[in-house]
Amino acid sequence: MVDLAAHNLRPTPTDGFPSPTSDLQIQTENILKARHPSIPSDSGTSGVLQRNSHLQFLLRNLIQGFPARYTSQDASQPWLIFWTLQGFSVLGVSLDERNKKRAVETLLGLQHPQGGFCGGPGQAPHLLPTYAAICAFAIAGGTGEDGGWEKIDREGMYNFFMSLKQPDGSFLVSYDAEVDVRGIYCLLAAATLLNIVTPELVAGTPEFLASCQTYEGGFGSASFPGWALNDDPTPGEPLIDPTSLRPSLGEAHGGYTFCAFASWVLLLPYINNYPTYRPSYPKPSINMKSLLRWLTLMQGTEIELGGFKGRTNKLVDGCYSWWVGGAVGIVEGLLASDGKQSSHVPKAEAEKNEPEEAWDDVDDSLYNRQALQEYILYAGQHPAGGLVDKPPKNADAYHTLYDLSGLSAAQHRVIPNESRKKELLACWTEEELSKDKIEPLRQELFAFALSWLEEEGTSKFTGSNRVNATHPLFNLTVTHSEAMMAHFYNRKVPSRYKASK
Amino acid sequence: MPRIIGDGGEGPLLFSERPDWADVTPIPQHEGYNPIAPIFYAPEYKDATDYFRGIVKTNEKSQRVLELTETVIRMNPAHYSAWQYRYHTLLAINASLDTELKLMDILAIQFLKTYQVWHHRRLILTALHSSSPPLSDPSASPSEPPPLDTTPKDFKAAQIELAFISRVLMTDAKNYHTWSYRQWLLAFFDDARLWEGEMSFVERLLEEDVRNNSAWHHRFFVVFGREQLPGDESRESVLKRELAYTKDQIALAPNNPSAWNYLRGILERTKTPFSNLRTFVEPYTKTRSSEEPKEDVLDLENPAPSSTAELPCVAALEFLADIYEDESENKENAIEIWKTLANERDTMRKKYWEYRIKELLENA
Ligand SMILES: [Zn+2]
Repeated sequence: MVDLAAHNLRPTPTDGFPSPTSDLQIQTENILKARHPSIPSDSGTSGVLQRNSHLQFLLRNLIQGFPARYTSQDASQPWLIFWTLQGFSVLGVSLDERNKKRAVETLLGLQHPQGGFCGGPGQAPHLLPTYAAICAFAIAGGTGEDGGWEKIDREGMYNFFMSLKQPDGSFLVSYDAEVDVRGIYCLLAAATLLNIVTPELVAGTPEFLASCQTYEGGFGSASFPGWALNDDPTPGEPLIDPTSLRPSLGEAHGGYTFCAFASWVLLLPYINNYPTYRPSYPKPSINMKSLLRWLTLMQGTEIELGGFKGRTNKLVDGCYSWWVGGAVGIVEGLLASDGKQSSHVPKAEAEKNEPEEAWDDVDDSLYNRQALQEYILYAGQHPAGGLVDKPPKNADAYHTLYDLSGLSAAQHRVIPNESRKKELLACWTEEELSKDKIEPLRQELFAFALSWLEEEGTSKFTGSNRVNATHPLFNLTVTHSEAMMAHFYNRKVPSRYKASK
Repeated sequence: MPRIIGDGGEGPLLFSERPDWADVTPIPQHEGYNPIAPIFYAPEYKDATDYFRGIVKTNEKSQRVLELTETVIRMNPAHYSAWQYRYHTLLAINASLDTELKLMDILAIQFLKTYQVWHHRRLILTALHSSSPPLSDPSASPSEPPPLDTTPKDFKAAQIELAFISRVLMTDAKNYHTWSYRQWLLAFFDDARLWEGEMSFVERLLEEDVRNNSAWHHRFFVVFGREQLPGDESRESVLKRELAYTKDQIALAPNNPSAWNYLRGILERTKTPFSNLRTFVEPYTKTRSSEEPKEDVLDLENPAPSSTAELPCVAALEFLADIYEDESENKENAIEIWKTLANERDTMRKKYWEYRIKELLENA
């Protein structure tokens, strides 16, 4: 008989006042607590990353293909490729040359003749598959005939992006489709990687992102522009008065929060260096304090094994390990670069006889990284390979990647590195910076994005469970991000291995 | 994989078997290469999407395209290109948008969780109630941007729409797309008579589930997301009403983060100091002790935790610490509470509480 109280497996209090939410919560807790590390399991393998079976799962999908139930992903074909390839990267495996070539060929078949990438051949271009395709190119592609990078139509893509721009600084995800912050993230990540960001492209976008932050601290999907439209617009500027009310559509949500916040951070070089589009408008800002509070509030308790939820009073789900856990990592990075989060944190209480020596403690964390890893390892792995939302669900390509990326985010601290940033800024000469007025923006975007490096000695792993670090703003390895950006910004990037010393 | 839904007993034919489609050249998805990570489609799906690529290529916009796109959508409601093409076809052939909306009533319920069903609905609604339908595809639209909308919005149609959304929310009370659609609809039509009914709607949903965060967010949207307040309401009376409602909900089930987040939200939005709620919050931060005589004094302004409440409540402790943090004489008390949270009451968030302690000490 296991003493649940001894392990602090307290059920979420229902105050003697059950409701549909608390009923579902209790059911889920009953399933999850059986997976708790303190409960003996019959398999004896729980807590160990089943690297081989996950690799088999990924390989089967990539080489043999996806079963018919993935027809629902027929308009997300670049995502199926990205989820699978990035899954390999996180697991530290790279593809052989022949399959890389096949991947590049498949991706090129998804490019739209007018620019941007489509969900499938012959479909319409769309921001989401565009991000997935560019990231897949970063992993499987390269320069030269078979690498495909030179065949990416950047001008067409830029025109496609501009044609989706809305008066409130947002973007449609596709023609006559919805506006939401997922699309903006996909656009900004792709544009940053490919060096096609311009002030015209992103004018008004930070203000839009800020308007999506809800009273809870996280971000919703979009905001309503109607009441903020300017009556006397100046040609070429966003038609919005950012001081007017723009209520957020939809509650704070983990996926939208990651997308909005990562977009915001990708845009920091623009926000910090460019004036607002009218001098009278205030600099856009987001509430970091309420954001951090909301993000950490999404971590489930011990009985939920410390997995993350996507919304208040919803259930934990493995994919939010990345969307929410990863977003806390970005906050940590910003605080560290502000010098706010020093390495000596006073302990609320001295750590007495820490039982698991293997989990070395990282003081600068803002959430429980050990518990998140346990959720993924104990509840996230499907016995037949692949990873899941939560037991007893089936594994799928999406959860496999985002559980693994979440595991990576929990193991590694990837934050801006000042000396690295200086080195990267120095990749430009004064002459280059003065020849084009937006070259300094390109330089800042490049140096800031690539300054995120793993802080030495902060990797938290137990031997065989270690996975690769991934860039918190792109979900690509730093190596892949760097190689692609070096190419498209036409820079020779100094080696990282001396910089981080 | 469902086949095309016929209305009689006849087995639906593939498009490739139908004489009325013989003039269209189907286009297979992959030509001339062996793709990585392919999907094994059912023959019906492959058939319909081959014909879809065929008509896209010839830019055909006709009645039968509506049938074809519906077939694709029913098999894969996330096929955004089929939705997009369908929308352009509806406009091009001047199809009845009311008929389209009726079809959407069925598809929305069936494919609740897809973005496209809700967005398509929004396009149709906008097209029905604007001087010109929204159109952004340069290949489908005239070069002039649509003029700013000046037609009066149809109140009746919006009312019907709200009723439809309410029915959908009965089957899935937290569906994200449904809720954001409802919020968009209210703001788009922006008619006082529509906003009016929303408070009782929210309260009904919160009566069914006080922990439904979507309903709480909707309440915030209705209270603070409007450009104009109804004439007889002042900001102060709104705050008073919201505080009273939220306190009552917290009293019923104190360990409900949705209600506490809402409380914080309204205080921050109205720039009301948290310390105004000290009297209300304190009883929620104490352990229930059996010796304590049961007080029967009824304070309507500050409802006490229900008799079955599990106390102390983490959210209340956090709230009290936030009050203390801003009071120079109480900073130590804030730290004490955060230590209790870190080590005892909310151990999963230990790191976060330690961070709050450090922040306070550094800014001291
Ligand atoms: Zn998920």
